[in-house]
Amino acid sequence: MLRFVSREAGKLALSLAGAVLLAAAISALAAPDAGGGAWQFLVAWGRALDGYAHLDFGHSAMTGRAASDELARHLPLTLGLVFEGLAIALIVGIPIGLSFGSGPARRAAAPLIQILSAAPIFCAGLALAFVAGNLLHWPVPSGDATAGLALVPHDVREAEILLLPVLTVGLAGAAATQLSLRRAGAEIAGQPWRTQLRRMGLSAWEIETVYAMPRIFAGLLGDLGEVMLALFSAAAVAEWVFNYAGAADLFVKSVALRDWAVVAPVLLAFGVLTMIAGFTGRCLAFPLLATGAES
Amino acid sequence: MMLTATAQTGTASLHRALRIAGWIGLGLIAVAVSLSDFLANAPANATAIGPLLAPPSVEFRFGTDILGRDLFSETLHALNATARSILPATAVTLLAGALLGFVAARLPRSLALTVRGLVGILASLPALLLAVLAIGLSTRDWAAVAAGLSAAPFTFVRAFDRARLEERATHSEYARATGISAATLLRRDLVYEFSDTILSSAARALAAVTLILSTVSFLGFGAVPPHRDLGLMIAAARPYFLHAWWTAAFPAAALVLLILCARLAAGLDEGERA
Repeated sequence: MLRFVSREAGKLALSLAGAVLLAAAISALAAPDAGGGAWQFLVAWGRALDGYAHLDFGHSAMTGRAASDELARHLPLTLGLVFEGLAIALIVGIPIGLSFGSGPARRAAAPLIQILSAAPIFCAGLALAFVAGNLLHWPVPSGDATAGLALVPHDVREAEILLLPVLTVGLAGAAATQLSLRRAGAEIAGQPWRTQLRRMGLSAWEIETVYAMPRIFAGLLGDLGEVMLALFSAAAVAEWVFNYAGAADLFVKSVALRDWAVVAPVLLAFGVLTMIAGFTGRCLAFPLLATGAES
Repeated sequence: MMLTATAQTGTASLHRALRIAGWIGLGLIAVAVSLSDFLANAPANATAIGPLLAPPSVEFRFGTDILGRDLFSETLHALNATARSILPATAVTLLAGALLGFVAARLPRSLALTVRGLVGILASLPALLLAVLAIGLSTRDWAAVAAGLSAAPFTFVRAFDRARLEERATHSEYARATGISAATLLRRDLVYEFSDTILSSAARALAAVTLILSTVSFLGFGAVPPHRDLGLMIAAARPYFLHAWWTAAFPAAALVLLILCARLAAGLDEGERA
Protein backbone atom coordinates (compact mmCIF):
# COMPACT_ATOMS: atom_id res chain seq x y z
CA MET A 1 0.00 0.00 0.00
CA LEU A 2 2.74 2.42 1.04
CA ARG A 3 4.70 1.62 -2.12
CA PHE A 4 1.62 2.24 -4.27
CA VAL A 5 0.84 5.55 -2.54
CA SER A 6 4.49 6.67 -2.83
CA ARG A 7 4.55 5.88 -6.55
CA GLU A 8 1.26 7.70 -7.11
CA ALA A 9 2.47 10.66 -5.02
CA GLY A 10 5.62 10.85 -7.17
CA LYS A 11 3.50 10.87 -10.34
CA LEU A 12 1.25 13.54 -8.81
CA ALA A 13 4.24 15.72 -7.86
CA LEU A 14 5.61 15.51 -11.43
CA SER A 15 2.20 16.31 -12.91
CA LEU A 16 1.77 19.28 -10.56
CA ALA A 17 5.21 20.59 -11.51
CA GLY A 18 4.28 20.29 -15.21
CA ALA A 19 0.99 22.08 -14.60
CA VAL A 20 2.82 24.95 -12.85
CA LEU A 21 5.25 25.22 -15.80
CA LEU A 22 2.32 25.36 -18.22
CA ALA A 23 0.46 27.98 -16.16
CA ALA A 24 3.60 30.11 -15.84
CA ALA A 25 4.08 29.95 -19.62
CA ILE A 26 0.52 31.24 -20.14
CA SER A 27 1.00 33.88 -17.46
CA ALA A 28 4.25 35.00 -19.16
CA LEU A 29 2.18 36.10 -22.17
CA ALA A 30 0.88 38.94 -20.00
CA ALA A 31 4.37 40.48 -19.88
CA PRO A 32 4.57 43.41 -22.33
CA ASP A 33 7.85 42.22 -23.89
CA ALA A 34 6.91 38.50 -24.11
CA GLY A 35 5.98 38.75 -27.79
CA GLY A 36 9.36 40.15 -28.79
CA GLY A 37 10.98 36.80 -29.56
CA ALA A 38 11.91 33.46 -28.03
CA TRP A 39 14.50 34.89 -25.63
CA GLN A 40 12.13 37.58 -24.30
CA PHE A 41 9.45 34.95 -23.80
CA LEU A 42 11.85 32.70 -21.89
CA VAL A 43 12.84 35.62 -19.64
CA ALA A 44 9.15 36.43 -19.02
CA TRP A 45 8.49 32.73 -18.33
CA GLY A 46 11.31 32.68 -15.78
CA ARG A 47 9.91 35.79 -14.09
CA ALA A 48 6.42 34.24 -14.03
CA LEU A 49 7.84 31.02 -12.54
CA ASP A 50 9.62 33.01 -9.86
CA GLY A 51 6.33 34.78 -9.10
CA TYR A 52 4.50 31.43 -8.92
CA ALA A 53 7.14 30.14 -6.49
CA HIS A 54 6.22 33.08 -4.23
CA LEU A 55 2.46 32.60 -4.85
CA ASP A 56 2.37 35.84 -6.84
CA PHE A 57 0.26 35.13 -9.93
CA GLY A 58 0.49 38.64 -11.35
CA HIS A 59 -2.27 41.23 -11.79
CA SER A 60 -5.37 41.31 -13.95
CA ALA A 61 -4.96 43.57 -16.97
CA MET A 62 -8.66 44.44 -16.79
CA THR A 63 -9.34 45.14 -13.12
CA GLY A 64 -5.80 45.73 -11.84
CA ARG A 65 -6.51 43.39 -8.92
CA ALA A 66 -4.14 40.55 -8.01
CA ALA A 67 -4.94 37.39 -10.00
CA SER A 68 -4.95 35.44 -6.73
CA ASP A 69 -7.69 37.77 -5.40
CA GLU A 70 -9.76 37.23 -8.54
CA LEU A 71 -9.33 33.48 -8.11
CA ALA A 72 -10.24 33.66 -4.41
CA ARG A 73 -13.44 35.57 -5.30
CA HIS A 74 -14.63 33.25 -8.06
CA LEU A 75 -13.23 29.77 -7.33
CA PRO A 76 -15.40 29.06 -4.23
CA LEU A 77 -18.53 29.57 -6.37
CA THR A 78 -17.30 27.02 -8.92
CA LEU A 79 -16.21 24.60 -6.21
CA GLY A 80 -19.64 24.91 -4.59
CA LEU A 81 -21.26 24.20 -7.95
CA VAL A 82 -18.96 21.26 -8.61
CA PHE A 83 -19.35 19.66 -5.16
CA GLU A 84 -23.13 20.15 -5.13
CA GLY A 85 -23.10 18.69 -8.66
CA LEU A 86 -20.94 15.80 -7.43
CA ALA A 87 -23.53 15.01 -4.74
CA ILE A 88 -26.26 14.86 -7.40
CA ALA A 89 -23.96 12.86 -9.68
CA LEU A 90 -23.48 10.22 -6.98
CA ILE A 91 -27.13 10.18 -5.89
CA VAL A 92 -28.36 9.79 -9.49
CA GLY A 93 -25.40 8.06 -11.13
CA ILE A 94 -24.80 5.22 -8.66
CA PRO A 95 -28.35 3.75 -8.74
CA ILE A 96 -28.47 4.15 -12.55
CA GLY A 97 -25.04 2.58 -12.97
CA LEU A 98 -25.92 -0.35 -10.72
CA SER A 99 -29.48 -0.92 -11.99
CA PHE A 100 -28.90 -0.41 -15.70
CA GLY A 101 -25.45 -1.99 -15.72
CA SER A 102 -26.55 -5.27 -17.22
CA GLY A 103 -29.45 -7.44 -18.24
CA PRO A 104 -32.80 -6.43 -19.76
CA ALA A 105 -32.84 -3.08 -17.89
CA ARG A 106 -29.69 -2.04 -19.74
CA ARG A 107 -31.13 -2.98 -23.12
CA ALA A 108 -34.36 -1.09 -22.35
CA ALA A 109 -32.57 2.05 -21.20
CA ALA A 110 -29.82 1.99 -23.86
CA PRO A 111 -31.55 4.05 -26.61
CA LEU A 112 -32.58 6.78 -24.17
CA ILE A 113 -29.10 6.96 -22.60
CA GLN A 114 -27.52 7.10 -26.09
CA ILE A 115 -29.68 10.09 -27.05
CA LEU A 116 -29.09 11.84 -23.70
CA SER A 117 -25.32 11.27 -24.01
CA ALA A 118 -25.35 12.85 -27.47
CA ALA A 119 -26.79 16.12 -26.14
CA PRO A 120 -24.13 18.78 -25.50
CA ILE A 121 -24.21 20.19 -21.97
CA PHE A 122 -25.32 23.62 -23.14
CA CYS A 123 -28.34 22.08 -24.88
CA ALA A 124 -29.18 20.18 -21.68
CA GLY A 125 -28.80 23.40 -19.68
CA LEU A 126 -31.11 25.31 -22.02
CA ALA A 127 -33.66 22.46 -21.94
CA LEU A 128 -33.62 22.52 -18.13
CA ALA A 129 -34.02 26.31 -18.17
CA PHE A 130 -36.99 25.98 -20.55
CA VAL A 131 -38.72 23.38 -18.35
CA ALA A 132 -38.00 25.38 -15.18
CA GLY A 133 -39.14 28.69 -16.68
CA ASN A 134 -42.24 27.54 -18.55
CA LEU A 135 -43.54 24.55 -16.58
CA LEU A 136 -42.33 25.21 -13.03
CA HIS A 137 -42.38 29.02 -13.36
CA TRP A 138 -39.00 29.35 -11.67
CA PRO A 139 -36.90 32.46 -12.23
CA VAL A 140 -34.34 31.71 -14.97
CA PRO A 141 -31.27 33.95 -15.25
CA SER A 142 -30.76 34.60 -18.95
CA GLY A 143 -29.74 37.28 -21.40
CA ASP A 144 -27.12 39.77 -20.30
CA ALA A 145 -28.17 40.04 -16.66
CA THR A 146 -25.19 38.94 -14.56
CA ALA A 147 -25.95 37.11 -11.38
CA GLY A 148 -23.27 36.50 -8.77
CA LEU A 149 -25.22 33.71 -7.20
CA ALA A 150 -24.90 32.79 -3.56
CA LEU A 151 -23.02 29.58 -2.81
CA VAL A 152 -25.54 28.67 -0.12
CA PRO A 153 -29.10 29.84 -0.91
CA HIS A 154 -30.79 31.97 1.74
CA ASP A 155 -34.38 31.68 0.51
CA VAL A 156 -36.51 29.62 -1.86
CA ARG A 157 -35.97 31.97 -4.81
CA GLU A 158 -32.18 31.75 -4.49
CA ALA A 159 -32.46 27.97 -4.18
CA GLU A 160 -34.55 27.81 -7.37
CA ILE A 161 -31.97 29.88 -9.25
CA LEU A 162 -29.09 27.80 -7.91
CA LEU A 163 -30.78 24.48 -8.65
CA LEU A 164 -30.59 24.84 -12.44
CA PRO A 165 -26.78 25.10 -12.78
CA VAL A 166 -26.31 22.49 -10.04
CA LEU A 167 -28.67 20.11 -11.86
CA THR A 168 -26.86 20.71 -15.16
CA VAL A 169 -23.48 19.94 -13.61
CA GLY A 170 -24.91 17.05 -11.59
CA LEU A 171 -26.46 15.35 -14.60
CA ALA A 172 -23.17 15.59 -16.53
CA GLY A 173 -21.42 14.07 -13.51
CA ALA A 174 -24.10 11.38 -13.20
CA ALA A 175 -23.39 10.30 -16.79
CA ALA A 176 -19.67 9.95 -15.97
CA THR A 177 -20.45 8.13 -12.68
CA GLN A 178 -22.83 5.57 -14.16
CA LEU A 179 -20.44 4.93 -17.03
CA SER A 180 -17.56 4.31 -14.66
CA LEU A 181 -19.65 1.90 -12.56
CA ARG A 182 -20.87 0.06 -15.65
CA ARG A 183 -17.35 -0.20 -17.03
CA ALA A 184 -16.13 -1.67 -13.74
CA GLY A 185 -19.16 -4.00 -13.66
CA ALA A 186 -18.48 -5.17 -17.21
CA GLU A 187 -14.81 -5.84 -16.38
CA ILE A 188 -15.65 -8.26 -13.57
CA ALA A 189 -18.76 -9.75 -15.21
CA GLY A 190 -16.99 -12.65 -16.88
CA GLN A 191 -14.41 -13.34 -14.16
CA PRO A 192 -13.91 -17.05 -13.38
CA TRP A 193 -14.03 -16.47 -9.63
CA ARG A 194 -17.78 -15.81 -9.88
CA THR A 195 -18.43 -19.37 -11.11
CA GLN A 196 -16.03 -20.80 -8.55
CA LEU A 197 -17.74 -18.96 -5.68
CA ARG A 198 -21.14 -20.17 -6.92
CA ARG A 199 -19.83 -23.73 -6.95
CA MET A 200 -18.68 -23.22 -3.36
CA GLY A 201 -22.34 -22.61 -2.47
CA LEU A 202 -22.39 -18.82 -2.06
CA SER A 203 -25.60 -17.06 -3.00
CA ALA A 204 -25.69 -14.54 -5.87
CA TRP A 205 -26.45 -11.75 -3.36
CA GLU A 206 -23.40 -12.69 -1.27
CA ILE A 207 -21.13 -12.77 -4.33
CA GLU A 208 -22.39 -9.38 -5.49
CA THR A 209 -22.19 -7.57 -2.16
CA VAL A 210 -19.02 -9.07 -0.65
CA TYR A 211 -16.90 -9.69 -3.76
CA ALA A 212 -18.21 -7.68 -6.69
CA MET A 213 -19.28 -4.39 -5.05
CA PRO A 214 -15.85 -3.44 -3.64
CA ARG A 215 -14.34 -3.90 -7.10
CA ILE A 216 -17.11 -1.92 -8.80
CA PHE A 217 -16.72 0.98 -6.35
CA ALA A 218 -12.94 0.75 -6.67
CA GLY A 219 -13.49 1.30 -10.41
CA LEU A 220 -15.55 4.42 -9.67
CA LEU A 221 -12.90 5.75 -7.27
CA GLY A 222 -10.17 5.02 -9.83
CA ASP A 223 -12.08 7.16 -12.34
CA LEU A 224 -12.65 10.03 -9.89
CA GLY A 225 -10.34 12.30 -11.90
CA GLU A 226 -12.42 11.65 -15.02
CA VAL A 227 -15.65 12.39 -13.11
CA MET A 228 -14.14 15.68 -11.85
CA LEU A 229 -13.12 16.55 -15.41
CA ALA A 230 -16.74 16.04 -16.55
CA LEU A 231 -17.95 18.20 -13.65
CA PHE A 232 -15.53 21.05 -14.44
CA SER A 233 -16.45 21.00 -18.14
CA ALA A 234 -20.13 21.09 -17.23
CA ALA A 235 -19.49 23.89 -14.71
CA ALA A 236 -17.86 26.01 -17.44
CA VAL A 237 -20.96 25.72 -19.61
CA ALA A 238 -23.49 25.98 -16.76
CA GLU A 239 -21.86 29.16 -15.46
CA TRP A 240 -22.09 30.70 -18.94
CA VAL A 241 -25.69 29.62 -19.55
CA PHE A 242 -26.96 30.71 -16.13
CA ASN A 243 -24.74 33.80 -15.65
CA TYR A 244 -23.07 32.24 -12.63
CA ALA A 245 -20.00 34.33 -11.80
CA GLY A 246 -17.66 31.43 -10.99
CA ALA A 247 -14.05 30.69 -11.95
CA ALA A 248 -14.94 28.96 -15.24
CA ASP A 249 -16.96 32.01 -16.31
CA LEU A 250 -13.99 34.16 -15.26
CA PHE A 251 -11.71 31.95 -17.40
CA VAL A 252 -13.87 32.34 -20.52
CA LYS A 253 -14.18 36.11 -20.10
CA SER A 254 -10.45 36.47 -19.36
CA VAL A 255 -9.49 34.53 -22.51
CA ALA A 256 -11.83 36.76 -24.54
CA LEU A 257 -10.09 39.82 -23.09
CA ARG A 258 -6.62 38.19 -23.32
CA ASP A 259 -6.09 38.69 -19.60
CA TRP A 260 -3.47 35.91 -19.38
CA ALA A 261 -2.45 36.66 -15.79
CA VAL A 262 -5.96 35.58 -14.69
CA VAL A 263 -6.35 32.75 -17.24
CA ALA A 264 -3.24 30.91 -15.99
CA PRO A 265 -4.11 30.47 -12.28
CA VAL A 266 -7.70 29.47 -13.10
CA LEU A 267 -6.47 26.76 -15.46
CA LEU A 268 -3.87 25.71 -12.89
CA ALA A 269 -6.55 25.45 -10.19
CA PHE A 270 -8.73 23.20 -12.38
CA GLY A 271 -5.76 21.01 -13.36
CA VAL A 272 -4.53 20.68 -9.77
CA LEU A 273 -8.00 19.81 -8.46
CA THR A 274 -8.49 17.15 -11.15
CA MET A 275 -5.05 15.66 -10.50
CA ILE A 276 -5.59 15.57 -6.73
CA ALA A 277 -9.04 14.00 -7.22
CA GLY A 278 -7.50 11.33 -9.47
CA PHE A 279 -4.70 10.65 -6.97
CA THR A 280 -7.11 10.45 -4.00
CA GLY A 281 -9.47 8.17 -5.92
CA ARG A 282 -6.68 5.78 -6.92
CA CYS A 283 -5.33 5.67 -3.36
CA LEU A 284 -8.82 4.96 -1.95
CA ALA A 285 -9.47 2.33 -4.63
CA PHE A 286 -6.32 0.37 -3.83
CA PRO A 287 -7.42 -1.01 -0.39
CA LEU A 288 -10.87 -1.78 -1.80
CA LEU A 289 -9.31 -3.89 -4.56
CA ALA A 290 -7.05 -5.55 -1.98
CA THR A 291 -10.09 -6.31 0.22
CA GLY A 292 -11.89 -7.86 -2.75
CA ALA A 293 -8.84 -9.98 -3.55
CA GLU A 294 -8.36 -11.11 0.08
CA SER A 295 -12.00 -12.04 0.62
CA MET B 1 -23.39 -21.13 -20.73
CA MET B 2 -25.41 -21.53 -23.94
CA LEU B 3 -27.69 -18.66 -22.92
CA THR B 4 -24.70 -16.38 -22.20
CA ALA B 5 -23.18 -17.15 -25.60
CA THR B 6 -26.52 -16.42 -27.32
CA ALA B 7 -26.85 -13.13 -25.41
CA GLN B 8 -23.29 -12.13 -26.39
CA THR B 9 -23.97 -12.93 -30.06
CA GLY B 10 -27.21 -10.89 -29.86
CA THR B 11 -25.38 -7.92 -28.30
CA ALA B 12 -22.64 -8.07 -30.96
CA SER B 13 -25.24 -8.10 -33.78
CA LEU B 14 -27.05 -5.17 -32.17
CA HIS B 15 -23.77 -3.23 -31.91
CA ARG B 16 -23.01 -3.94 -35.59
CA ALA B 17 -26.52 -2.86 -36.62
CA LEU B 18 -26.22 0.36 -34.60
CA ARG B 19 -22.82 1.13 -36.14
CA ILE B 20 -24.24 0.67 -39.63
CA ALA B 21 -27.20 2.87 -38.69
CA GLY B 22 -24.75 5.52 -37.44
CA TRP B 23 -22.81 5.50 -40.72
CA ILE B 24 -26.03 5.66 -42.75
CA GLY B 25 -27.12 8.62 -40.61
CA LEU B 26 -23.79 10.37 -41.18
CA GLY B 27 -24.10 9.68 -44.91
CA LEU B 28 -27.59 11.21 -45.01
CA ILE B 29 -26.34 14.24 -43.09
CA ALA B 30 -23.47 14.57 -45.62
CA VAL B 31 -26.00 14.49 -48.47
CA ALA B 32 -28.17 17.13 -46.75
CA VAL B 33 -25.09 19.28 -46.16
CA SER B 34 -23.86 19.05 -49.73
CA LEU B 35 -27.34 19.88 -51.07
CA SER B 36 -28.06 22.54 -48.46
CA ASP B 37 -28.14 25.37 -51.02
CA PHE B 38 -30.79 23.48 -53.04
CA LEU B 39 -32.81 22.22 -50.08
CA ALA B 40 -32.92 25.57 -48.28
CA ASN B 41 -35.76 27.95 -49.07
CA ALA B 42 -33.61 31.02 -48.56
CA PRO B 43 -29.92 31.91 -48.76
CA ALA B 44 -27.88 32.01 -45.55
CA ASN B 45 -28.67 34.96 -43.28
CA ALA B 46 -31.49 36.28 -45.49
CA THR B 47 -33.56 38.43 -43.11
CA ALA B 48 -37.26 39.42 -43.28
CA ILE B 49 -38.19 36.25 -45.15
CA GLY B 50 -41.23 35.92 -42.89
CA PRO B 51 -42.80 37.51 -39.82
CA LEU B 52 -40.63 37.88 -36.70
CA LEU B 53 -40.59 34.88 -34.35
CA ALA B 54 -43.31 33.00 -36.24
CA PRO B 55 -43.88 29.49 -34.80
CA PRO B 56 -43.49 26.40 -37.05
CA SER B 57 -46.16 26.29 -39.75
CA VAL B 58 -46.74 24.83 -43.23
CA GLU B 59 -45.02 27.85 -44.76
CA PHE B 60 -42.10 27.96 -42.31
CA ARG B 61 -41.50 24.38 -41.19
CA PHE B 62 -39.11 25.36 -38.36
CA GLY B 63 -40.58 28.81 -37.79
CA THR B 64 -38.67 32.10 -38.02
CA ASP B 65 -36.31 33.94 -35.69
CA ILE B 66 -36.16 37.47 -34.32
CA LEU B 67 -34.91 38.83 -37.68
CA GLY B 68 -37.54 36.97 -39.69
CA ARG B 69 -35.04 34.41 -41.03
CA ASP B 70 -36.41 31.02 -42.12
CA LEU B 71 -35.09 28.64 -39.46
CA PHE B 72 -35.28 25.55 -41.70
CA SER B 73 -32.91 27.18 -44.18
CA GLU B 74 -30.76 28.61 -41.42
CA THR B 75 -30.44 25.20 -39.72
CA LEU B 76 -29.36 23.62 -43.02
CA HIS B 77 -26.78 26.35 -43.65
CA ALA B 78 -25.54 26.11 -40.04
CA LEU B 79 -25.26 22.31 -40.36
CA ASN B 80 -23.18 22.92 -43.48
CA ALA B 81 -20.91 25.37 -41.59
CA THR B 82 -20.57 22.92 -38.68
CA ALA B 83 -19.73 20.02 -40.99
CA ARG B 84 -17.12 22.08 -42.84
CA SER B 85 -15.27 22.89 -39.62
CA ILE B 86 -15.51 19.47 -37.95
CA LEU B 87 -13.83 17.62 -40.82
CA PRO B 88 -10.42 19.37 -40.49
CA ALA B 89 -10.76 19.22 -36.70
CA THR B 90 -11.28 15.45 -36.88
CA ALA B 91 -8.19 15.10 -39.08
CA VAL B 92 -6.13 17.12 -36.56
CA THR B 93 -7.32 14.91 -33.68
CA LEU B 94 -6.47 11.73 -35.56
CA LEU B 95 -3.01 12.99 -36.55
CA ALA B 96 -2.01 14.77 -33.33
CA GLY B 97 -3.74 12.27 -31.06
CA ALA B 98 -4.04 8.77 -32.47
CA LEU B 99 -1.03 8.75 -34.81
CA LEU B 100 1.44 10.69 -32.65
CA GLY B 101 0.34 8.75 -29.56
CA PHE B 102 1.06 5.46 -31.29
CA VAL B 103 4.44 6.63 -32.60
CA ALA B 104 5.46 8.29 -29.30
CA ALA B 105 5.01 4.97 -27.47
CA ARG B 106 7.85 3.51 -29.59
CA LEU B 107 10.36 6.20 -28.60
CA PRO B 108 13.08 5.23 -26.11
CA ARG B 109 11.37 4.37 -22.81
CA SER B 110 12.38 7.43 -20.77
CA LEU B 111 11.56 9.86 -23.58
CA ALA B 112 8.25 8.11 -24.30
CA LEU B 113 7.20 8.29 -20.65
CA THR B 114 8.18 11.98 -20.46
CA VAL B 115 6.05 12.76 -23.52
CA ARG B 116 3.19 10.68 -22.06
CA GLY B 117 3.48 12.63 -18.78
CA LEU B 118 3.43 16.01 -20.54
CA VAL B 119 0.41 15.12 -22.64
CA GLY B 120 -1.18 13.59 -19.52
CA ILE B 121 -1.07 17.06 -17.93
CA LEU B 122 -3.07 18.46 -20.86
CA ALA B 123 -5.46 15.49 -20.60
CA SER B 124 -6.18 16.44 -16.99
CA LEU B 125 -7.63 19.77 -18.14
CA PRO B 126 -11.16 20.06 -19.54
CA ALA B 127 -10.88 19.84 -23.37
CA LEU B 128 -13.41 22.65 -23.68
CA LEU B 129 -11.22 25.07 -21.72
CA LEU B 130 -8.16 23.96 -23.70
CA ALA B 131 -10.02 24.75 -26.93
CA VAL B 132 -11.08 28.17 -25.63
CA LEU B 133 -7.48 28.85 -24.60
CA ALA B 134 -6.07 27.72 -27.96
CA ILE B 135 -8.53 29.97 -29.81
CA GLY B 136 -7.68 32.84 -27.47
CA LEU B 137 -3.98 32.33 -28.24
CA SER B 138 -4.63 32.33 -32.00
CA THR B 139 -7.75 33.62 -33.76
CA ARG B 140 -11.28 32.37 -34.28
CA ASP B 141 -10.32 31.38 -37.83
CA TRP B 142 -8.29 28.59 -36.24
CA ALA B 143 -11.19 27.31 -34.12
CA ALA B 144 -11.34 23.98 -35.99
CA VAL B 145 -7.63 23.29 -35.47
CA ALA B 146 -7.91 24.39 -31.83
CA ALA B 147 -10.85 22.03 -31.25
CA GLY B 148 -8.95 19.20 -32.91
CA LEU B 149 -5.85 19.86 -30.80
CA SER B 150 -7.83 20.10 -27.57
CA ALA B 151 -9.43 16.70 -28.20
CA ALA B 152 -6.03 15.23 -29.09
CA PRO B 153 -4.51 14.72 -25.58
CA PHE B 154 -7.16 12.16 -24.60
CA THR B 155 -6.78 10.37 -27.94
CA PHE B 156 -2.99 10.52 -27.59
CA VAL B 157 -3.06 8.88 -24.16
CA ARG B 158 -5.43 6.12 -25.36
CA ALA B 159 -3.29 5.42 -28.46
CA PHE B 160 -0.08 5.52 -26.41
CA ASP B 161 -1.36 3.02 -23.84
CA ARG B 162 -2.63 0.70 -26.58
CA ALA B 163 0.70 0.89 -28.40
CA ARG B 164 2.59 0.03 -25.19
CA LEU B 165 0.43 -3.10 -24.88
CA GLU B 166 1.15 -3.97 -28.53
CA GLU B 167 4.86 -3.57 -27.87
CA ARG B 168 4.70 -6.20 -25.14
CA ALA B 169 2.64 -8.59 -27.30
CA THR B 170 4.09 -11.96 -28.32
CA HIS B 171 4.44 -11.01 -32.00
CA SER B 172 6.61 -8.02 -31.03
CA GLU B 173 8.89 -10.18 -28.89
CA TYR B 174 9.31 -12.72 -31.72
CA ALA B 175 9.96 -9.91 -34.21
CA ARG B 176 12.65 -8.35 -32.01
CA ALA B 177 14.22 -11.76 -31.35
CA THR B 178 14.45 -12.46 -35.08
CA GLY B 179 16.16 -9.12 -35.75
CA ILE B 180 13.28 -7.22 -37.35
CA SER B 181 13.97 -3.52 -36.96
CA ALA B 182 11.92 -1.27 -34.67
CA ALA B 183 10.89 0.88 -37.65
CA THR B 184 9.52 -2.14 -39.57
CA LEU B 185 7.65 -3.33 -36.49
CA LEU B 186 6.19 0.15 -35.97
CA ARG B 187 5.08 0.28 -39.61
CA ARG B 188 3.43 -3.14 -39.31
CA ASP B 189 1.65 -2.24 -36.06
CA LEU B 190 0.51 1.10 -37.49
CA VAL B 191 -0.99 -0.58 -40.56
CA TYR B 192 -2.82 -3.18 -38.46
CA GLU B 193 -3.91 -0.64 -35.85
CA PHE B 194 -5.29 1.88 -38.34
CA SER B 195 -6.81 -0.60 -40.79
CA ASP B 196 -8.74 -2.13 -37.87
CA THR B 197 -9.81 1.00 -36.06
CA ILE B 198 -9.56 3.99 -38.41
CA LEU B 199 -13.31 4.26 -39.04
CA SER B 200 -14.23 3.89 -35.41
CA SER B 201 -11.48 6.32 -34.31
CA ALA B 202 -12.58 8.85 -36.94
CA ALA B 203 -16.21 8.65 -35.84
CA ARG B 204 -15.18 8.94 -32.19
CA ALA B 205 -13.05 12.01 -32.99
CA LEU B 206 -15.92 13.43 -35.05
CA ALA B 207 -18.30 13.18 -32.08
CA ALA B 208 -15.72 14.75 -29.74
CA VAL B 209 -14.81 17.70 -31.96
CA THR B 210 -18.48 18.36 -32.82
CA LEU B 211 -19.20 18.67 -29.09
CA ILE B 212 -16.20 20.93 -28.52
CA LEU B 213 -16.67 23.10 -31.61
CA SER B 214 -20.37 23.65 -31.06
CA THR B 215 -19.74 24.52 -27.41
CA VAL B 216 -16.94 27.00 -28.18
CA SER B 217 -19.22 28.57 -30.79
CA PHE B 218 -21.97 28.77 -28.19
CA LEU B 219 -19.52 30.55 -25.88
CA GLY B 220 -18.63 32.99 -28.69
CA PHE B 221 -15.21 31.60 -29.64
CA GLY B 222 -16.11 29.67 -32.79
CA ALA B 223 -17.86 30.69 -35.97
CA VAL B 224 -17.72 34.38 -36.85
CA PRO B 225 -21.01 36.00 -37.92
CA PRO B 226 -22.46 36.12 -40.54
CA HIS B 227 -21.21 32.52 -41.02
CA ARG B 228 -23.29 30.84 -38.32
CA ASP B 229 -22.81 27.25 -37.23
CA LEU B 230 -25.22 25.32 -35.00
CA GLY B 231 -23.56 26.40 -31.73
CA LEU B 232 -23.72 30.08 -32.67
CA MET B 233 -27.30 29.70 -33.85
CA ILE B 234 -28.33 28.25 -30.47
CA ALA B 235 -26.38 31.00 -28.67
CA ALA B 236 -28.23 33.64 -30.72
CA ALA B 237 -31.55 32.09 -29.67
CA ARG B 238 -30.66 32.26 -25.98
CA PRO B 239 -32.33 35.61 -25.12
CA TYR B 240 -35.77 34.57 -26.41
CA PHE B 241 -35.90 30.77 -26.48
CA LEU B 242 -38.03 30.70 -23.31
CA HIS B 243 -40.89 32.28 -25.30
CA ALA B 244 -39.96 30.98 -28.78
CA TRP B 245 -38.73 27.41 -28.19
CA TRP B 246 -38.34 26.65 -31.91
CA THR B 247 -35.46 29.11 -32.29
CA ALA B 248 -33.20 26.86 -30.21
CA ALA B 249 -34.94 23.48 -30.47
CA PHE B 250 -34.38 22.75 -34.20
CA PRO B 251 -30.68 23.65 -34.35
CA ALA B 252 -30.18 21.72 -31.08
CA ALA B 253 -31.99 18.69 -32.56
CA ALA B 254 -29.77 18.84 -35.66
CA LEU B 255 -26.67 18.98 -33.45
CA VAL B 256 -27.82 16.08 -31.26
CA LEU B 257 -28.62 14.03 -34.38
CA LEU B 258 -25.13 14.66 -35.80
CA ILE B 259 -23.41 13.69 -32.54
CA LEU B 260 -25.71 10.67 -32.06
CA CYS B 261 -24.89 9.34 -35.54
CA ALA B 262 -21.15 9.83 -34.91
CA ARG B 263 -21.40 8.08 -31.53
CA LEU B 264 -23.30 5.15 -33.03
CA ALA B 265 -20.83 4.91 -35.93
CA ALA B 266 -17.96 4.84 -33.43
CA GLY B 267 -19.64 2.00 -31.54
CA LEU B 268 -19.54 3.99 -28.31
CA ASP B 269 -21.20 2.47 -25.31
CA GLU B 270 -24.18 4.38 -23.85
CA GLY B 271 -22.84 7.27 -21.78
CA GLU B 272 -19.25 6.69 -22.95
CA ARG B 273 -17.23 9.85 -23.57
CA ALA B 274 -16.23 10.40 -27.16
